[in-house]
Amino acid sequence: MSANIDHLKEEHHQPSGLMRWITTTNHKDIGSLYLWFSLLMFFVGGLMALIIRAELFQPGLQFVVPGFFNQMTTMHALIMIFGAVMPAFVGLANWQLPMMIGAPDMALPRLNNWSFWILPFAFTMLLSTLFFESGGPAAGWTLYPPLSLQGGNSMPFVIFSLHLLGASSILGAINVIATILNMRAPGMTLMKMPIFVWTWLITAFLLIASMPVLAGAITMLLTDRFYGTSFFTAAGGGDPVLFQHIFWFFGHPEVYILILPAFGIVSTIIPAFSRKKLFGYDSMVYATASIALLSFIVWAHHMFTVGMPLAGEIFFMFTTMLIAVPTGVKVFNWVATMWKGSMTFETPMLFALAFIILFTIGGFSGLMLAITPADFQYHDTYFVVAHFHYVLVPGAVFAIIAAVYYWLPKWTGKMYNETLGKVHFWMTTIFVNITFFPMHFVGLAGMPRRIPDYAVQFTDFNMIASVGAFGFGLSQLLFVYILFLTLKQPVTAEDKSWEGAEGLEWTLPSPAPYHSFDTPPKVE
Amino acid sequence: MKRLSVFLVTMLASLTTMADWEVNMPRGVTPTANAAYDLHMLIFYITVVIGIVVFGVMFYSIFHHRKSKGAKPASFHESTTVEIIWTVIPFVILVGMAIPATKTLIMMEDTRNSEITLKVTGYQWMWKYDYVEDDVAFFSKLDSDSNEARQLGSKKDVNKVDNYLLNVDNEVVLPTDTKIRILLTASDVIHAWWVPELTGKKDAIPGYVNELWIDIKKPGVYRGQCTELCGKDHGFMPIVVRAVPKQEYTKWVSLNQKNRVADKSK
Amino acid sequence: MTGTKGTIVKLSLVVVAMYGFSYALVPIYDKFCEITGLNGKTNEVAYIGNDIQKDNRFVTIKFISNVANSAPLDFEPSVTEMTVQVGKAYNTHYVMKNNSSKQLHTTASPSVTPGKHAEYFKKVECFCFEQQTINAGEVKDLGIQFIIDNDLPHASGDIILSYTMFDITDSVKETNRL
Ligand code: HEM
Ligand SMILES: [Cu+2]
Repeated sequence: MSANIDHLKEEHHQPSGLMRWITTTNHKDIGSLYLWFSLLMFFVGGLMALIIRAELFQPGLQFVVPGFFNQMTTMHALIMIFGAVMPAFVGLANWQLPMMIGAPDMALPRLNNWSFWILPFAFTMLLSTLFFESGGPAAGWTLYPPLSLQGGNSMPFVIFSLHLLGASSILGAINVIATILNMRAPGMTLMKMPIFVWTWLITAFLLIASMPVLAGAITMLLTDRFYGTSFFTAAGGGDPVLFQHIFWFFGHPEVYILILPAFGIVSTIIPAFSRKKLFGYDSMVYATASIALLSFIVWAHHMFTVGMPLAGEIFFMFTTMLIAVPTGVKVFNWVATMWKGSMTFETPMLFALAFIILFTIGGFSGLMLAITPADFQYHDTYFVVAHFHYVLVPGAVFAIIAAVYYWLPKWTGKMYNETLGKVHFWMTTIFVNITFFPMHFVGLAGMPRRIPDYAVQFTDFNMIASVGAFGFGLSQLLFVYILFLTLKQPVTAEDKSWEGAEGLEWTLPSPAPYHSFDTPPKVE
Repeated sequence: MKRLSVFLVTMLASLTTMADWEVNMPRGVTPTANAAYDLHMLIFYITVVIGIVVFGVMFYSIFHHRKSKGAKPASFHESTTVEIIWTVIPFVILVGMAIPATKTLIMMEDTRNSEITLKVTGYQWMWKYDYVEDDVAFFSKLDSDSNEARQLGSKKDVNKVDNYLLNVDNEVVLPTDTKIRILLTASDVIHAWWVPELTGKKDAIPGYVNELWIDIKKPGVYRGQCTELCGKDHGFMPIVVRAVPKQEYTKWVSLNQKNRVADKSK
Repeated sequence: MTGTKGTIVKLSLVVVAMYGFSYALVPIYDKFCEITGLNGKTNEVAYIGNDIQKDNRFVTIKFISNVANSAPLDFEPSVTEMTVQVGKAYNTHYVMKNNSSKQLHTTASPSVTPGKHAEYFKKVECFCFEQQTINAGEVKDLGIQFIIDNDLPHASGDIILSYTMFDITDSVKETNRL
């Protein structure tokens, strides 16, 4: 607890106030910016989700017209994926990677500043389209033509902001790879890296390989609309299904971008609170890598119903099922880590345990969706909505929350209130299930996704889901309150905040000094 | 988890005034829909068993290997044998699932020897049906009762509308015990035609033609919806199929050939 | 720092390559469709070979038509079904009528179902090879000549040929202006 942030700030002649944040090239400052920005976007996207759930509380239209409803579903997804989950992971990477590998900062600090500051502009532009006369994008986050080509004036703005977001992610990924490959402390070989570093390294490669493909796809949409090309319109010899192939070639790796860092977080937290080393470190690394590789050959499982040739359907069914193997290995390894451990259940551990159970439920529904003939029934129903919310909310989002609780004392030197943390956990977990579990039922019973109104037999479960969604939203206000309380305290946290925590970051004082490791530590 | 279930049960109890608690896929009335249902149940039960085993071990560990019970951490952290076993076992289970799935898929894709052909065209926001061999064609859109009740601020109570949002002005009539080929295409954007009890959905793509087959084994009325986002009224273009015995169908065709509705009259 | 520079250069190349790859997917996809019959795309230029042998098999061809985006056109096959001998050339035609009060430019996009049979459906002549111009109120016959390839697998079912007619007047005008 020796170092003190204010003292260090003077030493480095930081500009103060707003300029400090705008010009900062420090990995911790930028990490914080990313995390705060992501929190803000969670609430913006969450508000949209609540508009959707309010409208779906009962059949009949009560609040919004269908066109606006479609803008809400489209925007909600774009904001949550690109504005909330991805920036949160990048924020965690910024804070943790240098500390975990024994480096003073990220490899490319100036680039780091840009990749963050692109985001507020991109999202301002994206959100501003909602106020256009013709409204924001309403063709779903998947932007399928020809529907997306019909949209109003918002389209070029949406595409431009997606380009910016893509550029930001690519720059961030380059930085992550450059840092991990070149700035590790002496003695830290690749196979000695903390597992979170590994998962981020692989995620960064996924980003670099997939974001440019999205850029290509949306550029083709743009030229189809404004420059007379016809990549995706049958009239000019194009094919709307081609867009889906290109989109999902990006899109499936993207869903793993949203989960691999979460695997890394859970693989860090479970051993810490089991007081036992991660079981099967090597196989965790190989499993992550094989998930990443497989993710490039399964894309068409999102489009089983477009009418592919039989051989194609069989191929994509098999590859998709295959992904369940490395995913299963991960789950088994986590359970084996807990086995014969000495567990305690602080808030980060609770979130990590809930992650394992609920993510696995999402994996089970994923396995069901992989079975092509059954997917003909599930596809584009609420069953799919239930699936991806199970892997994304109690999956990715729980991991992010767990990470914040786990590393907060290291970042701020202050410990959160454990009781409130537990209350937050139980409320969040209960409401997340009330929200998303019934969606399996209505989906199987035949309710399509992306509809503003539904037949009366779906009412009950929709009501339950809406109640859950509002409860979930409210629970997150408690999270903000907990963060606020924590930050208001004096610095009291120990350097090693958790008995079982392992890793270089815990050898640093809490709060961690402005430049993490000025002299690289030795790793034996 | 216990608290969760208690909460759920009370929630459910307070809502029992309402009727439908359908939690599963409906059983179908065609060989293809039934095959999908059987596969769905098979995979579901397999995942339930895996879930019980994995979560069982996990909860055992959570209850017995806690610090507060004086558990001392063991030091093992790898075992090649165990890791190979739990890579191979899931793989074998997957192969067991893939075999029936592939068989079903092959059966579903075989549209040969269809007796009649129904062409379905998606429009924003209605369907057009052409009976290819019989010179019958008509548009089918949301019925006027539902349409009135669905408007924002409508005074009409949706609970009092018959088959709210699942009713149309013109039903599709099809014969039972007949292999029917359904051709799917669209006029403007991508739609998807889905009647869960008849078979899985397939996309209707402008400029291209997809196909499905069904063989309805039970007379009745089957309802479905468009399942590919197709613009603002995507939620309001239902599908209603009335399946009748063959003779009745023949009669229906001859009655309707005369009232042929041309393309323009929509 | 050279290590870092090297990493940046390599990664940037990957980014550019993947962007290029997204465009490369367009021709790859076309090739893929051709091979697998995905989407039932048929030959886009006239078949001029003479390697098709006559065969004693007969198959039923059903003709289907669509008008995209509710354009003011009537567009129908003149006959809806033909039973043809494999390997022999046949003629048929579609009829298009312009119901609007101005000249229209149109183009037709063909699709064969089941898609895997597309490669055996050889068009010697087809109105879909070029754009059409149709005057207000005009009725036009649009001919096709086709052969079913004798490589068609035995035990194939009916073949369905569909054309979707697109009104492309606006985009034609735009290109003329440019
Ligand atoms: C065992 C692993 C998994 C399997 C087998 C699997 C399988 C599938 C399949 C087949 C679909 C397409 C369903 C349809 O549209 O009909 C799907 C959708 C989806 N999955 Fe997964 N999945 C798995 C894990 C994940 C993970 C880890 C994530 C992300 C964190 C994820 C996110 C999504 C999303 C976002 C969609 C829906 C996209 C959309 O249509 O908007 N899945 N999954
Ligand atoms: Cu996927």
